[in-house]
Amino acid sequence: MRRLRSFLPLWFMLPASVIVTLFFVIPVFMTFAFSFTTMSSDTGVLGNRYIVSEATLLKLKELNIDPVLVASLGEIRFVFDDTNLKNISQLNLKPSLLKEINTKLKNKVFATEKKLYAALKTLKNRPRSFKDRKAISKATVSSMMNKEFLTADEFSQGLVSVGINLDAPAFNQLLELTNTSWHWTTDNYAELMASDFTLKILGNTLFYVFCTLFFNVGFALLLALATFYMPSGQSKIFRALWLIPRISPSVIYVLLWKWFTFDSGFMSHFLSSFGFTPQDWLKEFPWVFVILANGFVGASMGMLIFSSAIVAIPGDVLRAAEVDGAYPLQQIRRIILPLLAWPILFVTSYQTLSLLTSFEYILLLTDGGPGFFTTETWALNAYHTALSNYFGNLRYGFGATLAVVLVVVGIILSLLYLRLFDFKKLVTEPQIET
Amino acid sequence: MEDRKPNWLLTLFLLIISAPILIMYFWLFIDSISEINTDGLWPEHFTLRNWRFLYEDIDGHGNVWKATLNTAIFATSVVSIVVILSSTAGYALSRLRFPYRSQFLGFVLLLHSFPSVTLIISIFLMLRLIGLYDTLVGVILVKAALELPFGIWIMKGFYDTVPWEIEMAGLQDGASRFQVWYKLVLPQIMPGIAALAIFSFMAGWSEFVLPLILVPGSETKLLSVYLAGLMIDDYLSDFGLFKAVGLFYIMPVMIFYLFTQDKLMNIYGGGTKG
Repeated sequence: MRRLRSFLPLWFMLPASVIVTLFFVIPVFMTFAFSFTTMSSDTGVLGNRYIVSEATLLKLKELNIDPVLVASLGEIRFVFDDTNLKNISQLNLKPSLLKEINTKLKNKVFATEKKLYAALKTLKNRPRSFKDRKAISKATVSSMMNKEFLTADEFSQGLVSVGINLDAPAFNQLLELTNTSWHWTTDNYAELMASDFTLKILGNTLFYVFCTLFFNVGFALLLALATFYMPSGQSKIFRALWLIPRISPSVIYVLLWKWFTFDSGFMSHFLSSFGFTPQDWLKEFPWVFVILANGFVGASMGMLIFSSAIVAIPGDVLRAAEVDGAYPLQQIRRIILPLLAWPILFVTSYQTLSLLTSFEYILLLTDGGPGFFTTETWALNAYHTALSNYFGNLRYGFGATLAVVLVVVGIILSLLYLRLFDFKKLVTEPQIET
Repeated sequence: MEDRKPNWLLTLFLLIISAPILIMYFWLFIDSISEINTDGLWPEHFTLRNWRFLYEDIDGHGNVWKATLNTAIFATSVVSIVVILSSTAGYALSRLRFPYRSQFLGFVLLLHSFPSVTLIISIFLMLRLIGLYDTLVGVILVKAALELPFGIWIMKGFYDTVPWEIEMAGLQDGASRFQVWYKLVLPQIMPGIAALAIFSFMAGWSEFVLPLILVPGSETKLLSVYLAGLMIDDYLSDFGLFKAVGLFYIMPVMIFYLFTQDKLMNIYGGGTKG
């Protein structure tokens, strides 16, 4: 019994700790690790990959490596190895011909199609039709070019199968040159410092965070104060209404903004009665709607926190002010706002961090556009670099480098907030000794 | 304090600034069941054609029921993991004595305020490395792990409100610490568990970024990604269809919201991501 008790905390903490460590804590460290690699969709994320590409051939030529070898790497061959013989057996050939190929041509390599045809002609059961000859040629054609090998052994077998035999030093040199797997590097950080886009994106991010924050906190205050001076039934309805954008799935919420602003959507119809020509307002004023859409979501959090802070103000204080003839505006300025200083600081700091790092709404709304990097923020750029872009090459390593900046900012600010909003008070000692 | 008198000027002002929300969600419903009129705002006639996605697949976007099933599996799995693990870990942090307890608590709080979305690139690469990329299991574990610090923190708060006397009485009567937790304390915090379950269900049901990146395949696609896919398809620009799918997708969230508003407001007011 004694043992069970003393291990209880372990069993209670372990499952949650394991999952959080694996999928939350380790990724934090891995972000740093990945940022020092050249990983991309070209290199893959797994270990070694050996590929002979056009670029490899050029490199080999530059290094003055045996031109015969270079040429043979680039050429196609006609090879009767086991895999290709299997391919042939699946063609619709005469059994006698198949048998003869299996015995006479096994493991033969032909440098050109002409030589292959010549060899086929020497067979007793030689294929009569051009179609059959072509099919055999197609089934046996092999090349080292652009084939992916995962181990050095596979690579060497590949070389042998196209009739290239190398000694160990030459093989190792080739192996190194064809290895397209990722490697460790610090170039990502150098590139980040040197890139012209860095400043542009940083500017966008600060602009976005500052404006949205201003709108969020301003609207939250306005809503909290307005609903405070309303009958409780009305204020409940308004608070519930403003929470709807927050609880809606982001995809739907953004869909509604897109409809609201597109050229035959609500705004265009509404404003056309005042003489404005209908247009795609989102494309015309992307920042305005990025900020509005984020602001309408963010305002609800501040609204709820400020509302409960205002309700917590002793009623006597406000009543005394009213008796003394203070108008609501004076009440707000002299009594309520000073008492809201801490909640405002809390909401501001909390939302600064989440706005800096989240990109969901911008991704759905403008995807960083219209045009080039118009509304591209840092977090969105990290996503674009590593996980989704039009250039085809996804740069995982460089994307991780961009993310490292956000992770560092996240750690520093979270630590700072813990200090600021004093968490020690929240920890009380257990009152039972077991 | 006695209720305030209505101030209609104030109400009108709030109605005006709230207008975009009212308009958007009103027309979400209207447009999903009507032919969209490009010359005016009011629909011309009633139609159910926008709901055709329920019985026929939209070209190149897969089956909506498959996506719905995936989303349901995803959301309920996340809820189960988060609720079960938070209620044990929350209890340990609130009530049990063990080494480094306060450090654990500080760490949970740190993770709670840490912006987890910054980790998406390394999570994507890690899932590729361990072979959980494009599997529901992978994305469920990730979402649960990211929600857990919040869940643990909230559950700890609920346990803190349970009077110690209950446990002391239980121990006095000879129950073990585990039995006390299971039989006496858990029933006390059922409202808290319900609130956390509803909150994590809504978070799971609405999740977009994680499934977009971690489960893009047609077999594992979730509803959010299905709808986003329709919206960026250049061959479709059919807001009626989008809104019908949107309404279909948002329904569970709205139903939960209508019935559990007060509880949710407490949690949202407590400061989560957003």
